[in-house]
Amino acid sequence: MDVKFLNPFVEAAVEVLKAEIGVNVQRGSLSLHQSALTTDDVTVLIHLVGQVHGVVMYGMNTQTGIRFVTQILGQEFTEFDSLAQSGVAELGNVISGRATIKFSQAGYASNISPPTLISGKGVQISTLDFPRIVVPLQTNLGELTVHLALRENRNGKPEEFVALTPAAKGS
Amino acid sequence: MNVKFLNPFVEAAYEVLRAETGVEINRGELRLEQGMYVTDDVTVILSLVGAVEGTVFYSMNRPAAVRFASIMLGESLSELDGLAQSGIAEIGNVITGRASMKLSENGYESNISTPSLILGKGASISTLDYPRLVVPLVTDAGSVEIHLALREGKRGLKTPQIPVPNVKAVNG
Repeated sequence: MDVKFLNPFVEAAVEVLKAEIGVNVQRGSLSLHQSALTTDDVTVLIHLVGQVHGVVMYGMNTQTGIRFVTQILGQEFTEFDSLAQSGVAELGNVISGRATIKFSQAGYASNISPPTLISGKGVQISTLDFPRIVVPLQTNLGELTVHLALRENRNGKPEEFVALTPAAKGS
Repeated sequence: MNVKFLNPFVEAAYEVLRAETGVEINRGELRLEQGMYVTDDVTVILSLVGAVEGTVFYSMNRPAAVRFASIMLGESLSELDGLAQSGIAEIGNVITGRASMKLSENGYESNISTPSLILGKGASISTLDYPRLVVPLVTDAGSVEIHLALREGKRGLKTPQIPVPNVKAVNG
């Protein structure tokens, strides 16, 4: 994956976490993974479609998720209910949206999909042949791990799907 | 969710599964689900962005996934290795791509994301406020469930989803 797609996300995450939650963020050390991601308690998954193409995932544990939404929504949560899930998904949505604004300023137009929330630890999520850059972001309310599996798609179209047999090719 | 988005997916799934695997397909009973989807062994997840937006899942159990991959790749696989995973993700990709072509013929242009593959039973996937239409497809090789959580999106792909201060960069 292209490293130039990393900084817009890190900046967006730092800005959004500061604005929404009021925490300072420390970036941990980056790593590059080829293998599937093993989920933490909560994972927000958002696809990017356009000149930057791929998937972004935000992972955290339940405690961190609860602390984040408590700050965002200004009300005490004791369990990770559907309102809390919606809040955490929205956090991923806002960070990704902000990152795509930064991409578009740099000349890469892309759109984001609605967020999908995956709850449950230990499930594997494979991005197939997209390697993942993993950025841990530490805050005093817990850690948010950002997984980026993105690639440049300069013609603005999504990759053509490959028909596996001639019969499956377009009508 | 709007039911008019359903048929393109069902047709595409029939065509692709028949072409790729040659199996006969029977459609089970449709249902609408509001709550979380608890994953089966293998789930392919893709998003659509554009005039139709949302998420599509294809879920199946491991034996079905291995059989589909074996038939497609023309070799007998015993486990869901990297090649088989990629084959299964590709089925999801091809069905969704074909469905999005059909949707664009009906005036709903949208682009699809890359597939992601979720392996592992028992996790919950929430599409939040998007209800899911579930279509079970039963074949000799096993069953596949298609989950559609789609809605009419903002018109035209060039429209940013949130206001972009530097619109020139988007359109130029």
